[in-house]
Amino acid sequence: MTADIDNLKSVRGAARPSLIGAARRLTSGRAAPLLVLIALCVLITIANPSFIEPRNLIRIANSSAVPLTLAMGLTFIILLGSIDLSVEGSLSIAAMVVVLLATNDANSNHFGWFAVVAAIAASTAMGFASGLVQTMLRIPSFMATLGVWFIGLGISVYMLGGSAVRLMDPSIRDLALARFLGLPLGVWVALGAFGLACTIQYYTRLGRHIVAVGGAEDLAELSGVNVRRVRILAFGLAGFFFGIAGVLAAAQLGRSDAVIADGRLFAAVTAVVVGGTALTGGEGGVINTLIGVLIVTVLGNGMILLGVSPYVQQTVQGLMIIAAVALSLDRQRLQIVK
Amino acid sequence: MNSTSNIRSLLTAGWLQGAIPPILLVALILIIELAAPGFLSGETLMLLLANTAVLFILAAGVTFVILIGGIDLSIQAVASLASVILAQLLPGIGMAAFPVAILGGLLFGILSGYVHVRLKVPSFVATLATGGVVAGIALWLADGRAITIEEAGRENTAWINGTVAGVPAVALIAAVIGLVAFFALRYTPFGRHSLAVGAGEPAALAAGINVPRTKIIAFAVSGTLAAIAGTILAARLSSGSPNLANQLLLPAIAAVIVGGTAITGGLGGVARTAVGALIISIVRIGMTFIGINIFAENVVFGAVLITAVAITIDRSKIAIIK
Repeated sequence: MTADIDNLKSVRGAARPSLIGAARRLTSGRAAPLLVLIALCVLITIANPSFIEPRNLIRIANSSAVPLTLAMGLTFIILLGSIDLSVEGSLSIAAMVVVLLATNDANSNHFGWFAVVAAIAASTAMGFASGLVQTMLRIPSFMATLGVWFIGLGISVYMLGGSAVRLMDPSIRDLALARFLGLPLGVWVALGAFGLACTIQYYTRLGRHIVAVGGAEDLAELSGVNVRRVRILAFGLAGFFFGIAGVLAAAQLGRSDAVIADGRLFAAVTAVVVGGTALTGGEGGVINTLIGVLIVTVLGNGMILLGVSPYVQQTVQGLMIIAAVALSLDRQRLQIVK
Repeated sequence: MNSTSNIRSLLTAGWLQGAIPPILLVALILIIELAAPGFLSGETLMLLLANTAVLFILAAGVTFVILIGGIDLSIQAVASLASVILAQLLPGIGMAAFPVAILGGLLFGILSGYVHVRLKVPSFVATLATGGVVAGIALWLADGRAITIEEAGRENTAWINGTVAGVPAVALIAAVIGLVAFFALRYTPFGRHSLAVGAGEPAALAAGINVPRTKIIAFAVSGTLAAIAGTILAARLSSGSPNLANQLLLPAIAAVIVGGTAITGGLGGVARTAVGALIISIVRIGMTFIGINIFAENVVFGAVLITAVAITIDRSKIAIIK
């Protein structure tokens, strides 16, 4: 089977000697997103050398922290072949809980780091709820998590009373303000989340089962994988990462409001997909997503450095997604594209 | 003998499944009428129809794409772009602004389809990306602001906000579009091919159906209807803005699924989408009618959405629920 596919590949590759074919051969496979990232960095540096200055690199790391943590959670769901639209709901729940339980300007709570634990727990519970709804009521994840998104966003807006609440706990604010080895603590938290996600994907049974279910759910079930349990755990795990991201976002902004999560879902999906994780599931992983997040952030940073009009940036990002995905798709495995 | 009774039981089961969304719709209307008497008046129902029109037109377009097994996430951007084009051109060229705005939608629909089919990018990503491209263009055209349709332009949009024999014009437009879409899906080769592609693409290919063309047409229809929805929205709000339709993408997709069209494709239709859109907008309006806290509305909406999908979805045609 593998030999067949390899044969097909070489035949098809040889039959297309054009420039696009050459570019595709060069970029096909696992290294494509990394090459895109490197090319972007080189091009932007040539255009504006201040891109490579440490101060700017720290800025990129800082603005990658929340998207990276979010995308870690989303990667597991997309590896399953599902989609999690509850990203913004879970994130705003976590941000709301941390802001309302830690020292703030709306009530007299000051539970300190307990607030952080509670926030992550709340968001994890939202994730488990998505997983349970999807598997127990047997509805597609697209709709289950769409509902959970509205519920999460609704609860947080209701609790915040429609206004913005400031976060005034100094030790939680330090996640954004204090630095260790030159990088804000939030970046280290995001790197820790990345390490955790790597460990889960490559060294735990859950991680392997997620890839197995995403690759072929019927085969995984026949091989004795408890598909329902894997799905529920994966959604819970995603909620856990969204919770961390929510705490980071609240610390970075110093407040929480109704729009704290706006636009984060599509940014996270973009990062996962540009990194090379297939929406059909079973292919890719958290390392791909790290590169995807960096591509998106570097592109955004580069466009600001190059003085591209902010209105056009979205257009450029859209074209970038098409180019990245069109170049890096492994077409032999995709006879049918949906 | 045995086989005929099998077929008959299958038919009745299918009929029952198809009847669930309308039953849910009636049940919802009754619940709201009981909780807040006066809901079932002609005036409220006309308001309901007028408010559902834009959502339904968007959802009808995206139904075509979902039926072929894809998804179109660019409709909100296309609708917003159409509203911007309309608001900018109305003072200069009058009524001709409508076809220009709608042509823009057709163009970007074809672009989405082309990216999806020719570059083999999955439709979720392709339309996410074209949506970004279109949103950027709309921002650039409008210079990031909302454009008000002034008095001079409003003369040309008045017909949309008017009524014909007591029925809002927007509801009539939506009904005409719905009928055309319904017949296009049922009685044209394109409609049959769409269902075939969604039900089983390899079989459709083997049967000689021009799959790429069918897919591109589906995206073109989706883009065109999104643009029509955008122009109507702009006329109703007397304003065009690059994020005018931003809150409508997910409700539109939800309307399609709640109506009973399978998200995996091949099963469903525009009539079901009409029911789904009515369910979605009844829940929205009903919450205001019953007097649910405005901040808690999203919570109720999300819960109702999950319940509605759990009740209406036809699981018999979906092997694996992802």
